[in-house]
Amino acid sequence: MKILTVLLTLTIAMTAGQYDKVKITPDMAYIYVYHKGKAVKVHRIQDTKHKITGEYAKIYRPGKDIQPIKMHKDVQTIGEVELLQFMTKKVNKKKGLLVDLRTKAAYKKESIPSAVNIPARVKDNPVKIEKILKVLGAKRNADGTLDTSKVLEVAFYCNGLWCDKSSDFIKTFLDLGYPADKIRYYRGGMQMWKILGFTTVTN
Amino acid sequence: MKLLYLAAFAISTLIVNANRVEIVEGMPYVEVEANGKTYKIERTQEAGAYLTNTFALTSRPSPPFFIEPFHVDDGVETFGELEVLDFISKKRGVFIDARLANWYKKSAIPSAVNIPFKIFLSDTPERTKTLKELGGEGSGVSWNFENAKTILLYCNGAWCGQSPTAIHALIEIGYPKSKMKYYRGGMQSWQLLGLTTIVPEVKK
Repeated sequence: MKILTVLLTLTIAMTAGQYDKVKITPDMAYIYVYHKGKAVKVHRIQDTKHKITGEYAKIYRPGKDIQPIKMHKDVQTIGEVELLQFMTKKVNKKKGLLVDLRTKAAYKKESIPSAVNIPARVKDNPVKIEKILKVLGAKRNADGTLDTSKVLEVAFYCNGLWCDKSSDFIKTFLDLGYPADKIRYYRGGMQMWKILGFTTVTN
Repeated sequence: MKLLYLAAFAISTLIVNANRVEIVEGMPYVEVEANGKTYKIERTQEAGAYLTNTFALTSRPSPPFFIEPFHVDDGVETFGELEVLDFISKKRGVFIDARLANWYKKSAIPSAVNIPFKIFLSDTPERTKTLKELGGEGSGVSWNFENAKTILLYCNGAWCGQSPTAIHALIEIGYPKSKMKYYRGGMQSWQLLGLTTIVPEVKK
């Protein structure tokens, strides 16, 4: 029994400070989210010499307009701290969905933990959109209008500050009658997530 | 035939000179003025350019570095790059680099003036002078900011607390929230988009 207690104390002591070198906020070193049924620890890379490399370190982006800070006056833009809160308070409790709008291939390679993939071009497919709305809790009334009184909150992201997929997709959602106050826009996207050293998952 | 060559040459020159990477479609660059100089702000045209300098670092040690919330305060608007460019090109107020001077000296966003955040934290002659320059009337801890200028502050990026700290200090002494804007992306997002930075001429 004594040995067990010692072991337990040791384990706690060893893991407690594991992500304290590079924390998220003063009171948050990591959070747990569910990704495809499995708990994933989301933290930041602890190597203070680590630099972003690869696709998301690219700064040459021809044909990619810088996106405004707000895509619609009533849709909230969020940063990483708010996204993490969304994950723990909404996604983990099945009250919200985090949607990755990038291509299937990009999502497969890596994504933000707890995100599901809806490639942005799906917005041109009314059948698929109708299915997605249903999954989100919207109901089609007999007169064709959309009952959104019980819909989930949705946060969207794509490649980054220069990616217009999120605003395009959100516009489609707004046009369909999805309430603006149930939508969040993580403008930083994959690129900001990665440059801040956050955990990603492969799918 | 000569004419054809000439035309071809003219067109090729146009293509070479045109920005392939625009800020947004139809806006290849923005001009800003500061200290009697005009600066052209554009995005990198260098094919295959990557961020490799210290702003490519993902993991700054905490403390002091943490991820800043999207909003400093409910009443203070957060800006992105397009809003910053509009603010500085149309001279809507004072654009403040709130970092310590050693950061600013290395590289900054064109037209920004350096007012290190520490100046705002305590009642000093330096703060009084700065607040007066920004249009405040008063002294010490008692100020009237009715005629104060709108200010836009930035620092190193989403992991930098210098501009949020300055904004909090200014809120405390009554600077109107509606007259303060926060560019959270800072130097890191600016460079991640390949936007122009300069080595400012620091007055001695």
